[in-house]
Amino acid sequence: MTRGVGMDVDVTQGNDPLIYPQETPASLTERVCVATLRPDGGMWAPMWWWMCLGVALLLVGMGAVSVAWLFYAGLGIWGIDWPVAWGFDILNYVWWIAIASGGTFISALFFLLRAPWRTSLNRLAESLTLCAALCAAIFPILHLGRPQFFYWLFPYPNTMGLWAQFRSPLVWDFFAILAYVTCSILFWYFGLLPDLATLRDRAQRRWQQVFYGVLALGFRGSARQWRHYGPVYGVLAALMAPLVVSVHSIVGMDFAGGAATGWHSTEFPPFFVFGAALSGFAIVLLVLLPLRPALGLEPYVTDRHVDVLGRLLLTSSLCVAYAYVMDVFSTFYGPDQADRTMFAFRLHGLYAPVYWGTIILNIVFPQLLWWRAIRLNPAVVWPICLGVLVGMWLERFQIIVTSLAHTQLVSAWGQYTPTVWEWSLLCGTIGLFLTAFLLLVRFIPMLAMAEMRAMLGDGP
Amino acid sequence: MAAPFTPRANVIMTTCLIGIAFVVISGCMVWFAWPYTDYDRRVGWTVEQAVPFSHQHHVAGLGLDCRFCHSSVERSAQASMPPTFTCMTCHSQIWTNAEVLANVRDSFLRNVPMTWQRVTNVPDYVYFNHSIHVAKGVGCESCHGNVAAMPLTYKARTLTMRFCLDCHRDPGPQLRPAESIFDTDWHRDAATPTPAALMARYHVGGRNLTECSICHR
Amino acid sequence: MPPLGRSGGADASDRLAGLSDDELVRQFPRLEGALSHALDRRRTLRLLALALASGGLKGCDPGTPDRGFVSAVRAAEGVVPGVPNIYATAHVRDGYAEGILVTHQMGRPIKVEGNPAHPGSRGGTDVMAQALIHDFYDPDRAIGPLHHGMPASWQDLTGAMQRMRSTVMAPRRPDGTRSGTGLRILTGTVTSPTMGRAIAQIMQAYPGAIWHQWDAIGRKHVRQGGMLAYGQAVSVLPDLTQADVVLALDSDLLDSAPGHLAFARDFAMRRNPVRGTMNRLYAVEATPSLTGVAADHRFIASPVMLDEVIGRLSAGLLQDEAPSGGPEWLGPVMRDLRAHRGRAFIHLGPDHPPEVHATVHAMNEALGGRGRVFDVLEPPEYRTPSPVDDLPTLMEDMEDGRVEALLIVDVNPVHQVPRLAAALRHVPTSITLADRPHETAVATNWHVPLAHGMEDWGDARGHDGTVALIQPQAMPLYGGMNALAALHACVGLPLRPAIDMVRATWRDLLPSQRDWHDALATGVIAGTACRSIDALLQPAASRVASPASFPRSAAQPVLLLRPDPYLWDGRGANNPWLQELPRPLSKVVWDNPLLIPPDLARDMKLRNGDVVTLSQGQARARLPVWIQPGQASGCVVGLLGWGRQHAGATGDDVGTDLYPFRDAPGPLRIEVAKETAIPVACTEHHATIIGTAPSEIARHGTLEQFRGNPAFLAGKQEPDASLYRRPPDGPVAWGMSIDLNACIGCNACVTACQVENNIPVVGRDEVLRQREMHWLRIDRFHEGTPDAPDTFFQPMLCMHCEQAPCETVCPVGATTHDSEGLNVMVYNRCIGTKFCSNNCPYKVRRFNYFAFAQHENRPAISRNPDVSVRTRGVMEKCTFCVQRIAQARIATDRDGVAEQVVTACQAACPTRAISFGDIHDPAAEVTRHKASPLSYAALPEQGTYPRVTYEGRIRNRNPDIGS
Repeated sequence: MTRGVGMDVDVTQGNDPLIYPQETPASLTERVCVATLRPDGGMWAPMWWWMCLGVALLLVGMGAVSVAWLFYAGLGIWGIDWPVAWGFDILNYVWWIAIASGGTFISALFFLLRAPWRTSLNRLAESLTLCAALCAAIFPILHLGRPQFFYWLFPYPNTMGLWAQFRSPLVWDFFAILAYVTCSILFWYFGLLPDLATLRDRAQRRWQQVFYGVLALGFRGSARQWRHYGPVYGVLAALMAPLVVSVHSIVGMDFAGGAATGWHSTEFPPFFVFGAALSGFAIVLLVLLPLRPALGLEPYVTDRHVDVLGRLLLTSSLCVAYAYVMDVFSTFYGPDQADRTMFAFRLHGLYAPVYWGTIILNIVFPQLLWWRAIRLNPAVVWPICLGVLVGMWLERFQIIVTSLAHTQLVSAWGQYTPTVWEWSLLCGTIGLFLTAFLLLVRFIPMLAMAEMRAMLGDGP
Repeated sequence: MAAPFTPRANVIMTTCLIGIAFVVISGCMVWFAWPYTDYDRRVGWTVEQAVPFSHQHHVAGLGLDCRFCHSSVERSAQASMPPTFTCMTCHSQIWTNAEVLANVRDSFLRNVPMTWQRVTNVPDYVYFNHSIHVAKGVGCESCHGNVAAMPLTYKARTLTMRFCLDCHRDPGPQLRPAESIFDTDWHRDAATPTPAALMARYHVGGRNLTECSICHR
Repeated sequence: MPPLGRSGGADASDRLAGLSDDELVRQFPRLEGALSHALDRRRTLRLLALALASGGLKGCDPGTPDRGFVSAVRAAEGVVPGVPNIYATAHVRDGYAEGILVTHQMGRPIKVEGNPAHPGSRGGTDVMAQALIHDFYDPDRAIGPLHHGMPASWQDLTGAMQRMRSTVMAPRRPDGTRSGTGLRILTGTVTSPTMGRAIAQIMQAYPGAIWHQWDAIGRKHVRQGGMLAYGQAVSVLPDLTQADVVLALDSDLLDSAPGHLAFARDFAMRRNPVRGTMNRLYAVEATPSLTGVAADHRFIASPVMLDEVIGRLSAGLLQDEAPSGGPEWLGPVMRDLRAHRGRAFIHLGPDHPPEVHATVHAMNEALGGRGRVFDVLEPPEYRTPSPVDDLPTLMEDMEDGRVEALLIVDVNPVHQVPRLAAALRHVPTSITLADRPHETAVATNWHVPLAHGMEDWGDARGHDGTVALIQPQAMPLYGGMNALAALHACVGLPLRPAIDMVRATWRDLLPSQRDWHDALATGVIAGTACRSIDALLQPAASRVASPASFPRSAAQPVLLLRPDPYLWDGRGANNPWLQELPRPLSKVVWDNPLLIPPDLARDMKLRNGDVVTLSQGQARARLPVWIQPGQASGCVVGLLGWGRQHAGATGDDVGTDLYPFRDAPGPLRIEVAKETAIPVACTEHHATIIGTAPSEIARHGTLEQFRGNPAFLAGKQEPDASLYRRPPDGPVAWGMSIDLNACIGCNACVTACQVENNIPVVGRDEVLRQREMHWLRIDRFHEGTPDAPDTFFQPMLCMHCEQAPCETVCPVGATTHDSEGLNVMVYNRCIGTKFCSNNCPYKVRRFNYFAFAQHENRPAISRNPDVSVRTRGVMEKCTFCVQRIAQARIATDRDGVAEQVVTACQAACPTRAISFGDIHDPAAEVTRHKASPLSYAALPEQGTYPRVTYEGRIRNRNPDIGS
């Protein structure tokens, strides 16, 4: 196979090599296929994988119980109340969907930007995107008082002669998520086709041949197929790039479209995109660092990649910092006294720790990444990424709960305390995320072989 | 090593994909269409009653007016069911020992209310008011069908929200002259005033009749 | 998808629901009798009601598709299915009547309104009257006779009666008769002429018997005060429309005094400077009350200080001494009173000793207002209770074994007087006649179940003596005898139907059947008000009351015991509407924490909910504390009527019983208990926030400011900068205006709204989670310092914004705008995203986190059939009583006669603070009120254009008194 979607570049440009020089397409293919197919018939999967899966399934079980009880007993089991009618449900939804963005940024945006380093990362990143989007997609339904009627959001001909209310940000949201998830799956699966074909061809066992064969949809790497493949992949990428921006803008509008103090801000859409980028890059790094040794990806995912991701993380953290500053500015520049009162409450009220936690985790700590030595030191980068994810979660808490707890009318001030059922649901989604991702790691090549081969030049 | 797939695989695969697509799409179609069916709406189903009352016999045969039994239809939201006493005004004289009327006599003698099963029913959150419809020239037949032709009463219309809205959006065609409101077998003819004229006569259309608050509280 | 035709899980409103006769009998055994009898009208109604009840009870799962029609055997005369009927009757509290009109649907009472023809109501109602409906359907009411608290048969009961009569009343020996010696009858205050006659007949038949009158929350000091002042039993009736200056000393004038609705109405008539000249109200009190909050000046005074104030006041007014010493505001107040001779009135609360009341009467006479601002009438009581026939005397006799048979009629002394339980052991035969098996009923030997006041014939006088007729609204739902008949039956007098006894009482006033029916229809008998008498002031009364003349221990702290504003003496304990109604000042529900002043909290380092141990003599109690801003330093306040043991499923063991402290000797001790705080359910979560800046929401100012610039509250008009199109106008435009000058924060509107709209009660735990459901709430704002704040009330309900933020965010269009300007909430379309609630700046939307309505302890027939009962997971809110609007619209459209729409809150309001109507109709009251210079909209900067506006509160401050 001589053609590919990758671009011909000097693989040793810059300070670190993108790929260890001694690597050849053959060695790459060999390594990846062995990792996925395990022809030696050795252990079906490494020990660490089983242990992680065990933990993940445990969490999933917890989440399942939580959901079952929710449907039986009703929304009342959560801590949400009269002034604060949204809590963990929307919070986690926004958090997960932001995490999902990382993959799309890396694989679509940087594909269009022809960034060479993105090739070693895109498969991993996109897989993360799918898993995170899966978790996010649960909440919009769970948070309904009468989830059995969720489909009323969808415009379809019905005996009531009624339609969805298109002025509502929630309806935009519904479609944005639908489009985003569908396209992400397509993009991911399409990029996967050549590799599935490779696996099919190299598979020894019958079930692997059939399994990958069916999934490969008869991709044989013929010149004709490649001729179509390239453009289509490009089109999909070009579709994904604006989608990832739109989906987070619209999530931002869920709040910007509202009148509550702390929500009613035209700046939210871009801010949510910044936040999405931040948590997206964080999750990629967070997963990449342990996975690299575990799957033996060092030759292909080098310090160069870690370095680039570190810089991206730093950049997006600065964007978010700008967002926070603008938030303060517009609050105190704007006319609304209630906003100022609410902001004061943010700074030194019941939930002040949340605000300061947000600042420290999202802005202060990432500043360490200015130093290359730190960027390349997993022991520091990993906690920073974890911190960023927590920080982003806190930011959502601060936007949703803190604002609602302190709206315009003093007599309607209140507070919100999550219950065990909300926590267990959060754990459940984390478990779901891990489970899905672990399965992908095991059965799907975490490197885009075809593209990497193209980068490395001619294959076998 | 043998190739995992024979050439037939392509055919099978394609068929499966098309099949899946077909099932999903037709599933949705059915799901949408089902509530429109008369079967789902129980249209044309008779309901078991304590007494097999025949509107055909009483209305078409004997020429009783609807209001003779459903006495509050012009005054109240509910048309109301007749008390046993009303039945007995005649049936104490005629058919005094007919088997089918045993329950009626029993109710009267033992002073126990009779229970009638609902034939035409709307959900509890729909506040349908008979009196205003009758006052505005909507005939019984528009919703209840030609009960005069029903030996056993059955539901004649779907009564979906769409059914109500169709009329509330454009009441004119459903209106009829005051004297024909209780005529269950009435049809527009040349003599009938135009919908517009009837709308004007009944002062219908002064306000938007499709607002939620018209029916839901 | 579930088609709408089938009830898709939502909103079961109770319509006619069917049951076959044997089902009926199975569920309601007592019905068997009813079925066999000939039907009269009310029996038919009851049949229907029961049919509905059973159907409704079964049909708790919403909207079972095919529920049958139950058709009556004979049509009930005057009842058209779906058309409400209204009957007049009266609600009696401690003897004094408040006229009410009861609305029926299919023969079941579903709503109470005030009776405009009754002087004690004038169309308004108080909270307790509104909550009557729940009491009426209360499943915990008495269902049969009890013997030592155990169910007994009627035969046993009658047997016991005969034995009692043979031992107590029948002639014992030929030598000496003792007919009735040892027979005692204990009732509450009786104003009812018929009841009075009934008891008088007993006294005639048994000369030895003694009749005691007693109330837990008595007014005997007031009566004795009148006796001291005028040498005879009198009642002093103020006319607040005539008073320019009113001084309320620890007063309950607007809170709970008999006739408080009328007083509040008169008072409010003089409060809005736009519509007349303002009066001025000074309040001096230890703990904030509605009267205090309504006052222009509220002075905080502990009981001791209050005594001093009264002393100096009397010195000043009775002997024209120049005011010397005392608080600095006393001089100006006295000058103000003097300056308005003949138009000034002083009112004293019921807790103070008779001598002080006498002094106050003397001062009022000295101010020369008699015949104008107040009048002296003959008392409305049938026989004015005197100290000798009070409860203590009775208890002594019981303990000395002089009581052989005791009839306790419709009072609950065992709960309210702990000593009585022991005394009862000395009484061979004790019988309680009551409508529920309360503490006394189970403590006495026998309990004779009475019918509820709404199932009974009777009559009672109002605060001014006007007689209200009481007619049954339905057949006794759970059985139960008529009080009059039961009383006579017990003592073996010939049994007569209660209606005949009432009719007989008024034979001469209402000779013809027609008069009788007219009186029943209006609910009052005209011309029966008490005549004014020319009793002269006794010289003794006008002596200066010096603080020494009524000694009171200056010990700190002082425990003031007050009746709970809603449970009253405890009778309301089993009524969840009352339990969950926020107390006006503290906003606490489902508990009676000890109200402590802020400084005490600082000294003892107490926070809301911390537990203290209260002890005085033998009495002990452990209860949480609640900091009450504006309470006199050194005073702690406890609310009576809580901690019931036999109230019912709802009321048992809620709160703490403080009656034991009432006459406990010795000093009060408060110790901080070790255990952790008890969470106290409260519906306003900023209770501790004290704003120093005047509130932008509840706007207020002084009369001077108003005179300077009448529109000074309106604020700067926001330019109409909305990008949205304003909704087009329809045939009518509904709007509401609320006059904060008239609103006294009594909460009657809140309860009325709850009853009318089937608003569920959620219980203490859910309130702790901030999930109360009231569509209409009364916000309470404090300004100034915690120790002496200014307090303001503001009713807050759906503003029906013309640019409603809730409507744009609902993804399914479950809340939309209609052409009449209503912000409509369609429950059955709602999927529960809760976005609308988040987006509502006024936070007036309530969400059904659980199936609250389905979990309520009340039969489905007690609900309003015209309003959907909301299910789990849907949002709800004020609809401007859209069901009433629709009814009026349809009636107008159908019959061509315009019908006035009155919302439930508006109808209930005793001060007419709420006006509602078409804001495009220049003649409408609401339009005039909205045109007032005081009118303003809440949160105008939100650009929501609310259809509800307020008239800012103006206070007529005395310039000589620095605030």
